[in-house]
Amino acid sequence: MDVAEIISHHILDHDWGVTLGGLRMPVTTHSVTIVAVSVILFLGLWWVSRRHESRAGRLLTALAEEYVTFIRDGMVLPNMGTEGRSFLPYFCTLFLFILSVNLAGMIPEMKTATSNISVTAALALCSGGLILFSGLKFHGPIGFLKGFVPSGTPGWLVPLIFPLEVVSLIIKVCVLAIRLFANMLSGHMVLICLLLIIFIVGNMHVAAGAGSLLPAMGLEIFMTCLELLVAFLQAYVFTLLTAIFAGSVIHTH
Amino acid sequence: MALGPFSKQDHVEITSLGIEFAVSVVLGTWAGYVLDGKLGSGPWLLVAGAFAGFALGFYIILRAAKNMSRADANLKKAEKKDGRS
Repeated sequence: MDVAEIISHHILDHDWGVTLGGLRMPVTTHSVTIVAVSVILFLGLWWVSRRHESRAGRLLTALAEEYVTFIRDGMVLPNMGTEGRSFLPYFCTLFLFILSVNLAGMIPEMKTATSNISVTAALALCSGGLILFSGLKFHGPIGFLKGFVPSGTPGWLVPLIFPLEVVSLIIKVCVLAIRLFANMLSGHMVLICLLLIIFIVGNMHVAAGAGSLLPAMGLEIFMTCLELLVAFLQAYVFTLLTAIFAGSVIHTH
Repeated sequence: MALGPFSKQDHVEITSLGIEFAVSVVLGTWAGYVLDGKLGSGPWLLVAGAFAGFALGFYIILRAAKNMSRADANLKKAEKKDGRS
């Protein structure tokens, strides 16, 4: 039994090898998961957004309103102020999308697409674009560049501070991607490793493997619950940090 | 939930400081490495990049500590409430 192979099979993306007219199509397990989640979210929210007479429909509509209020009053307005109101749809989409993709990994046969650095990098690029756009929208190109230098900086320090501030904003966006990626990847790696304990110990002796069954499964259930928490937490943190960074660009000191 | 003098936003920012420091050092070293490969200037730019990344990481942490004015204001509010200050 090759443990490394099993772990990498569990973690990594798999190309389905679909070709169309000699062109390799980017159909992989992760991309299929993302498309499936997007379609389900789109159709589901479209259904929820219509007027409903049924009890379930009204309940779901109230739930969606509650969710939007949570994003607006919990993240966007406190951090971005009233200027953030126009960006509310982006934050609602971001939170729900990351949460759904995170949770999709808990369903058998589906993969956590957010444990792929390309996916999280694309999400962070979107957030970086939003931060850039909000800075340009409210301050203009010159004011946006001026906002990087804190007020009260001595003139001779400006050439030193300016690149530092620009690079630190870029690093913050990179950290957004790395944090989500690392958390989701490590969580799933721990899940598969805990399962593999049974087989590794079982290779030594069958009775030992049987004995490790219960502790390993207990740990597995515990980690699965923790993974559910992490899925919510990381979606929340990603959205909140995007709001904080965009707010710091809008309200410069 | 008691968060001490720090707000929820401060807590989230504090948790990302560690990764930000690591990423800035790695990014600086990598930039030095790439420049070394292009210019053929031995290991010197790599070392300089590592130091620059280190300095940037410290700058980020110090600025974050300075910018926690929200924390300061919250602390003053809490102290006033307790009748300390």
